[in-house]
Amino acid sequence: MQNARDTFYVTLRNRLATVSPDRTVVMRAVTRPGILVEDAEAVAAQLPLDVFVLRWTKLATDTQLPSILTQLTCEIHYATAGTQSNSGLDRGRCLEEMDDELLQILCPSSTPKMNYTHTPAAQMGTCVFWSQAIFDTATIGRERLGRVATVNVFAFQEQGEK
Amino acid sequence: MSWDTSTQNFDDHALRMANALLRGNGGTTASLLMPPATEDMTDAGQLGLNPPNFQSLPLSPAVFRRLRPTMREGQPARYELLISGVAVQGAVSQLQLSSADALFATAANVVVGGELFLIESTSVSESMGAVYMYRLLLREAASGWLMQPPS
Repeated sequence: MQNARDTFYVTLRNRLATVSPDRTVVMRAVTRPGILVEDAEAVAAQLPLDVFVLRWTKLATDTQLPSILTQLTCEIHYATAGTQSNSGLDRGRCLEEMDDELLQILCPSSTPKMNYTHTPAAQMGTCVFWSQAIFDTATIGRERLGRVATVNVFAFQEQGEK
Repeated sequence: MSWDTSTQNFDDHALRMANALLRGNGGTTASLLMPPATEDMTDAGQLGLNPPNFQSLPLSPAVFRRLRPTMREGQPARYELLISGVAVQGAVSQLQLSSADALFATAANVVVGGELFLIESTSVSESMGAVYMYRLLLREAASGWLMQPPS
Protein backbone atom coordinates (compact mmCIF):
# COMPACT_ATOMS: atom_id res chain seq x y z
CA MET A 1 0.00 0.00 0.00
CA GLN A 2 2.85 2.35 0.80
CA ASN A 3 4.23 1.90 -2.73
CA ALA A 4 0.86 2.94 -4.17
CA ARG A 5 0.78 6.03 -1.97
CA ASP A 6 4.35 6.97 -2.86
CA THR A 7 3.72 6.42 -6.57
CA PHE A 8 0.57 8.53 -6.53
CA TYR A 9 2.36 11.43 -4.83
CA VAL A 10 5.47 11.37 -7.05
CA THR A 11 3.31 11.13 -10.20
CA LEU A 12 1.23 14.14 -9.21
CA ARG A 13 4.33 16.07 -8.16
CA ASN A 14 6.10 15.46 -11.46
CA ARG A 15 3.00 16.41 -13.44
CA LEU A 16 2.55 19.58 -11.39
CA ALA A 17 6.13 20.62 -12.17
CA THR A 18 5.17 20.49 -15.86
CA VAL A 19 1.65 21.93 -15.64
CA SER A 20 2.47 24.78 -13.27
CA PRO A 21 6.23 25.23 -12.78
CA ASP A 22 5.70 28.43 -10.77
CA ARG A 23 3.72 26.64 -8.07
CA THR A 24 6.49 25.78 -5.67
CA VAL A 25 6.91 25.41 -1.93
CA VAL A 26 9.98 25.60 0.29
CA MET A 27 9.98 22.64 2.65
CA ARG A 28 12.94 22.02 4.91
CA ALA A 29 15.00 24.53 2.90
CA VAL A 30 14.29 22.72 -0.39
CA THR A 31 12.28 24.37 -3.17
CA ARG A 32 10.07 21.81 -4.84
CA PRO A 33 6.73 21.57 -6.66
CA GLY A 34 3.84 22.82 -4.54
CA ILE A 35 2.47 19.51 -3.40
CA LEU A 36 3.29 17.49 -0.29
CA VAL A 37 2.21 14.51 1.74
CA GLU A 38 0.96 15.71 5.09
CA ASP A 39 2.17 12.71 7.07
CA ALA A 40 5.68 12.92 5.61
CA GLU A 41 6.29 16.49 6.79
CA ALA A 42 6.63 18.21 10.14
CA VAL A 43 3.35 19.01 11.87
CA ALA A 44 2.19 22.58 11.21
CA ALA A 45 -0.42 24.68 12.99
CA GLN A 46 -2.12 25.44 9.69
CA LEU A 47 -1.90 23.94 6.22
CA PRO A 48 0.22 26.09 3.88
CA LEU A 49 -1.48 28.29 1.29
CA ASP A 50 -1.25 27.75 -2.47
CA VAL A 51 -0.02 24.19 -2.03
CA PHE A 52 -1.73 20.83 -2.57
CA VAL A 53 -1.63 18.72 0.59
CA LEU A 54 -2.31 14.99 0.30
CA ARG A 55 -3.99 13.43 3.33
CA TRP A 56 -4.54 9.68 3.31
CA THR A 57 -7.70 8.66 5.12
CA LYS A 58 -9.76 5.52 4.45
CA LEU A 59 -8.56 2.08 3.51
CA ALA A 60 -10.66 -0.72 2.01
CA THR A 61 -9.66 -4.07 0.53
CA ASP A 62 -11.23 -6.58 -1.83
CA THR A 63 -9.90 -10.03 -0.99
CA GLN A 64 -12.16 -11.92 -3.44
CA LEU A 65 -9.75 -11.35 -6.35
CA PRO A 66 -6.60 -13.36 -7.20
CA SER A 67 -4.58 -10.44 -5.80
CA ILE A 68 -5.82 -8.23 -3.00
CA LEU A 69 -7.16 -4.96 -4.38
CA THR A 70 -6.67 -2.04 -2.03
CA GLN A 71 -8.63 1.17 -2.17
CA LEU A 72 -6.98 4.13 -0.48
CA THR A 73 -8.85 7.37 -0.09
CA CYS A 74 -6.77 10.48 -0.61
CA GLU A 75 -8.06 13.89 0.39
CA ILE A 76 -6.30 16.68 -1.46
CA HIS A 77 -6.54 19.88 0.57
CA TYR A 78 -5.72 23.25 -0.91
CA ALA A 79 -6.39 26.85 -0.01
CA THR A 80 -5.39 30.30 -1.17
CA ALA A 81 -5.60 33.88 -0.02
CA GLY A 82 -5.07 35.27 -3.51
CA THR A 83 -2.06 37.30 -4.53
CA GLN A 84 -0.45 40.25 -2.82
CA SER A 85 -0.51 42.33 -6.00
CA ASN A 86 -4.32 42.08 -6.07
CA SER A 87 -4.66 42.43 -2.28
CA GLY A 88 -6.33 39.02 -2.14
CA LEU A 89 -9.29 40.10 -4.26
CA ASP A 90 -8.34 37.44 -6.78
CA ARG A 91 -8.60 34.55 -4.31
CA GLY A 92 -11.58 33.12 -6.19
CA ARG A 93 -9.60 33.12 -9.40
CA CYS A 94 -6.59 31.57 -7.65
CA LEU A 95 -8.74 28.78 -6.24
CA GLU A 96 -10.21 28.12 -9.68
CA GLU A 97 -6.65 27.98 -11.04
CA MET A 98 -5.77 25.34 -8.46
CA ASP A 99 -8.94 23.39 -9.31
CA ASP A 100 -7.85 23.38 -12.94
CA GLU A 101 -4.28 22.34 -12.13
CA LEU A 102 -5.56 19.49 -10.00
CA LEU A 103 -7.80 18.25 -12.80
CA GLN A 104 -4.84 18.34 -15.18
CA ILE A 105 -2.40 16.49 -12.93
CA LEU A 106 -4.94 13.76 -12.17
CA CYS A 107 -5.12 12.88 -15.90
CA PRO A 108 -4.31 10.25 -17.07
CA SER A 109 -5.61 8.35 -14.08
CA SER A 110 -3.09 5.53 -13.93
CA THR A 111 0.65 5.00 -13.72
CA PRO A 112 3.02 2.04 -13.21
CA LYS A 113 3.58 1.28 -9.53
CA MET A 114 7.08 2.10 -8.29
CA ASN A 115 9.07 1.08 -5.26
CA TYR A 116 10.86 4.14 -3.89
CA THR A 117 12.66 2.29 -1.11
CA HIS A 118 15.19 1.30 -3.79
CA THR A 119 17.62 3.76 -5.36
CA PRO A 120 16.92 4.27 -8.21
CA ALA A 121 13.21 3.55 -7.80
CA ALA A 122 12.19 0.15 -9.18
CA GLN A 123 9.16 -0.37 -11.39
CA MET A 124 6.76 -3.03 -10.13
CA GLY A 125 4.49 -5.38 -12.06
CA THR A 126 1.14 -3.63 -11.72
CA CYS A 127 -0.31 -0.17 -12.05
CA VAL A 128 -1.81 2.31 -9.63
CA PHE A 129 -5.07 3.81 -10.86
CA TRP A 130 -7.55 6.26 -9.41
CA SER A 131 -11.07 7.58 -9.68
CA GLN A 132 -12.19 11.02 -10.78
CA ALA A 133 -11.85 13.69 -8.12
CA ILE A 134 -14.91 14.65 -6.12
CA PHE A 135 -14.66 18.36 -5.31
CA ASP A 136 -16.22 19.53 -2.05
CA THR A 137 -17.85 22.89 -1.55
CA ALA A 138 -15.31 25.68 -1.14
CA THR A 139 -14.74 26.69 2.48
CA ILE A 140 -14.18 30.27 3.56
CA GLY A 141 -12.08 31.04 6.61
CA ARG A 142 -11.60 34.80 6.75
CA GLU A 143 -9.18 35.53 3.91
CA ARG A 144 -8.58 31.85 3.16
CA LEU A 145 -10.59 30.17 0.44
CA GLY A 146 -10.08 26.44 0.33
CA ARG A 147 -11.37 23.18 -0.99
CA VAL A 148 -10.95 19.44 -0.51
CA ALA A 149 -10.96 17.06 -3.46
CA THR A 150 -11.29 13.34 -2.74
CA VAL A 151 -9.75 10.68 -4.95
CA ASN A 152 -9.94 6.91 -4.49
CA VAL A 153 -6.62 5.28 -5.38
CA PHE A 154 -6.59 1.59 -6.28
CA ALA A 155 -3.65 -0.82 -6.39
CA PHE A 156 -3.11 -4.57 -6.35
CA GLN A 157 -0.94 -6.01 -3.62
CA GLU A 158 1.94 -7.81 -5.31
CA GLN A 159 3.76 -10.86 -4.02
CA GLY A 160 6.03 -9.95 -1.12
CA GLU A 161 4.78 -6.38 -1.02
CA LYS A 162 4.10 -4.96 2.41
CA MET B 1 -5.81 64.66 14.37
CA SER B 2 -2.49 65.22 16.12
CA TRP B 3 0.83 63.62 15.36
CA ASP B 4 3.53 62.59 17.77
CA THR B 5 6.43 64.73 16.54
CA SER B 6 8.65 64.29 19.57
CA THR B 7 12.20 63.13 18.94
CA GLN B 8 12.65 59.46 19.77
CA ASN B 9 16.17 58.25 19.26
CA PHE B 10 16.48 54.51 19.29
CA ASP B 11 18.95 52.99 21.64
CA ASP B 12 19.24 49.40 22.73
CA HIS B 13 17.94 49.88 26.29
CA ALA B 14 14.87 47.73 25.59
CA LEU B 15 17.03 44.93 24.18
CA ARG B 16 19.32 45.00 27.20
CA MET B 17 16.44 45.17 29.63
CA ALA B 18 14.70 42.23 27.94
CA ASN B 19 17.90 40.21 28.11
CA ALA B 20 18.34 40.99 31.79
CA LEU B 21 14.73 40.17 32.63
CA LEU B 22 14.78 36.91 30.66
CA ARG B 23 18.01 35.87 32.39
CA GLY B 24 16.63 36.87 35.77
CA ASN B 25 13.36 34.98 35.31
CA GLY B 26 14.65 31.58 34.39
CA GLY B 27 17.18 32.15 31.66
CA THR B 28 16.86 28.82 29.96
CA THR B 29 17.93 27.75 26.46
CA ALA B 30 15.48 26.72 23.76
CA SER B 31 16.60 25.00 20.57
CA LEU B 32 14.93 25.31 17.20
CA LEU B 33 15.13 22.20 15.04
CA MET B 34 16.32 23.49 11.67
CA PRO B 35 16.75 21.65 8.36
CA PRO B 36 20.35 20.71 7.58
CA ALA B 37 22.57 22.85 5.34
CA THR B 38 22.85 20.01 2.82
CA GLU B 39 19.43 19.82 1.19
CA ASP B 40 17.75 16.47 0.62
CA MET B 41 16.37 16.76 -2.93
CA THR B 42 15.61 13.05 -3.33
CA ASP B 43 12.20 11.39 -3.67
CA ALA B 44 12.91 9.45 -0.48
CA GLY B 45 13.34 12.74 1.37
CA GLN B 46 9.80 13.79 0.39
CA LEU B 47 8.22 10.41 1.16
CA GLY B 48 9.31 10.11 4.78
CA LEU B 49 11.95 7.48 3.97
CA ASN B 50 15.06 9.53 4.76
CA PRO B 51 15.61 10.96 8.27
CA PRO B 52 15.39 14.77 8.12
CA ASN B 53 18.62 15.22 10.15
CA PHE B 54 17.41 18.39 11.81
CA GLN B 55 20.11 20.58 13.33
CA SER B 56 19.70 22.10 16.76
CA LEU B 57 19.89 25.91 16.90
CA PRO B 58 20.13 27.03 20.54
CA LEU B 59 18.62 30.39 21.52
CA SER B 60 19.12 32.05 24.89
CA PRO B 61 18.19 33.71 27.13
CA ALA B 62 14.64 32.43 27.02
CA VAL B 63 11.83 31.92 29.50
CA PHE B 64 9.56 28.93 29.18
CA ARG B 65 6.31 28.71 31.07
CA ARG B 66 3.00 26.96 30.99
CA LEU B 67 0.01 29.00 29.98
CA ARG B 68 -2.81 29.33 32.44
CA PRO B 69 -4.34 25.86 32.29
CA THR B 70 -7.87 25.43 31.04
CA MET B 71 -8.78 21.80 31.60
CA ARG B 72 -10.06 20.19 28.44
CA GLU B 73 -10.01 16.47 27.99
CA GLY B 74 -7.74 15.27 25.20
CA GLN B 75 -6.20 18.68 24.61
CA PRO B 76 -2.41 18.92 24.89
CA ALA B 77 -0.93 21.44 27.30
CA ARG B 78 0.12 24.81 25.88
CA TYR B 79 3.19 26.77 26.77
CA GLU B 80 4.78 30.03 25.86
CA LEU B 81 8.39 30.70 25.14
CA LEU B 82 9.83 34.20 25.42
CA ILE B 83 13.08 34.58 23.53
CA SER B 84 15.49 37.49 23.51
CA GLY B 85 15.39 39.59 20.35
CA VAL B 86 19.19 39.67 20.34
CA ALA B 87 19.37 35.87 20.23
CA VAL B 88 16.85 35.64 17.40
CA GLN B 89 18.54 38.36 15.34
CA GLY B 90 21.86 36.58 15.83
CA ALA B 91 20.34 33.35 14.52
CA VAL B 92 18.78 35.15 11.54
CA SER B 93 22.17 36.62 10.63
CA GLN B 94 23.95 33.33 11.18
CA LEU B 95 21.63 31.46 8.81
CA GLN B 96 21.47 34.41 6.37
CA LEU B 97 17.68 34.47 6.46
CA SER B 98 15.55 37.44 5.49
CA SER B 99 13.64 37.76 8.77
CA ALA B 100 12.74 36.20 12.08
CA ASP B 101 9.45 35.05 10.51
CA ALA B 102 11.47 33.05 8.00
CA LEU B 103 13.49 31.55 10.85
CA PHE B 104 10.40 30.35 12.74
CA ALA B 105 8.70 29.20 9.52
CA THR B 106 11.74 27.09 8.65
CA ALA B 107 11.99 25.56 12.12
CA ALA B 108 10.26 22.21 12.42
CA ASN B 109 9.90 22.13 16.19
CA VAL B 110 11.32 23.52 19.41
CA VAL B 111 13.15 21.58 22.10
CA VAL B 112 13.13 22.89 25.67
CA GLY B 113 14.57 20.87 28.51
CA GLY B 114 14.88 17.82 26.29
CA GLU B 115 11.19 17.83 25.39
CA LEU B 116 9.68 18.48 21.99
CA PHE B 117 7.11 21.22 21.32
CA LEU B 118 5.27 22.38 18.21
CA ILE B 119 5.08 26.07 17.26
CA GLU B 120 1.49 27.29 17.12
CA SER B 121 2.09 30.99 16.57
CA THR B 122 4.63 33.75 17.03
CA SER B 123 4.35 37.37 18.08
CA VAL B 124 6.75 40.15 18.99
CA SER B 125 7.20 42.92 21.51
CA GLU B 126 8.87 46.02 20.20
CA SER B 127 10.08 49.40 21.33
CA MET B 128 10.43 52.24 18.85
CA GLY B 129 10.20 49.83 15.95
CA ALA B 130 12.89 47.47 17.21
CA VAL B 131 11.89 44.00 18.35
CA TYR B 132 13.29 43.18 21.77
CA MET B 133 11.45 39.93 22.49
CA TYR B 134 9.73 37.13 20.57
CA ARG B 135 6.84 35.16 22.03
CA LEU B 136 6.19 31.67 20.73
CA LEU B 137 3.01 29.83 21.58
CA LEU B 138 3.90 26.16 21.87
CA ARG B 139 1.94 22.95 22.05
CA GLU B 140 3.22 19.83 23.74
CA ALA B 141 4.14 17.20 21.12
CA ALA B 142 2.00 14.09 21.43
CA SER B 143 4.97 11.85 20.68
CA GLY B 144 6.61 12.54 24.03
CA TRP B 145 10.07 11.96 22.54
CA LEU B 146 13.01 12.91 24.71
CA MET B 147 15.46 14.91 22.62
CA GLN B 148 19.22 15.25 22.92
CA PRO B 149 20.26 18.44 24.71
CA PRO B 150 22.18 20.88 22.48
CA SER B 151 25.91 20.18 22.38
